[in-house]
Amino acid sequence: MVRFLIFLLFSAWAIVSAVGVVTFSNPIYVIIWLLSCLIAVAGIFFTAGAELVGALQLLIYAVAIAVFYVFVLTAVPWEKAVKKDSHYRTEGVLSLPLVLLLYLEMVVVFLLGVVASPEGKFREAIAKIGNAEVVGSVLFTKYFFAFEVVSVVLLVGMIGAVLIGRKESQTYEDDTA
Amino acid sequence: MKTIPLEAYFVVSMILFGLGVLGLIVRRNLITVLMSLELALNAVNVAFVGADAHMGLVEGQIFALFIIALAAVEAAVGLGIIIAIFRYRHVESTDEITDMRG
Repeated sequence: MVRFLIFLLFSAWAIVSAVGVVTFSNPIYVIIWLLSCLIAVAGIFFTAGAELVGALQLLIYAVAIAVFYVFVLTAVPWEKAVKKDSHYRTEGVLSLPLVLLLYLEMVVVFLLGVVASPEGKFREAIAKIGNAEVVGSVLFTKYFFAFEVVSVVLLVGMIGAVLIGRKESQTYEDDTA
Repeated sequence: MKTIPLEAYFVVSMILFGLGVLGLIVRRNLITVLMSLELALNAVNVAFVGADAHMGLVEGQIFALFIIALAAVEAAVGLGIIIAIFRYRHVESTDEITDMRG
């Protein structure tokens, strides 16, 4: 029961932060709300018993990716960013029913899936030797090839980011106007 | 571990995912669009980990780790593209990038 109350606390925190991410106009406030939401989601992971994913969420998301976003925000031309409206307001109002319909579809699909959910085979092992150990042993045996593929994707992404972000000799003017 | 119902995780995940999709639609600044995308990815992670805690598996946590790694790659490449757009075209709003309009 205490665990459920903590889960509700972190969930409310995450949802309030997500509303802040969507509604605030200044990008600095948006990145702070996003950081708050990531920390709340890490708390949800801890209450679910996934301490390894929660710790990596804090380390990778809430530190590395958030700092990266802050670095990029320093490259924004601010005088232009604050001059225009930060939201597409009419488009948002018009798309809200479609987003609600997507919610409804996901509710139906999830509740159908809950009925068909299989029984766990690692529950005794998790209770005996701990969650992180079971995650590591399954990750490095059954999903080892996928792990290596993810590392290759990280390498390719790094090379691509360096190639895209390098300085070019000429600039391209907008010839469509 | 069974005190939290699976539906609670899914409801939180759906609300976060819907807010992320709404942010993708209504945001004008390119960087805040990417932040909304991170919100949607986090919502999927919540669903994976919640289903894991309910079913006593660890596959969802492993895929959550993969999603975190791919989100890092996506942030690196996407923000590189956005910086390139800033630098060469001097636009930062999503409705000013109209090069591929027919």
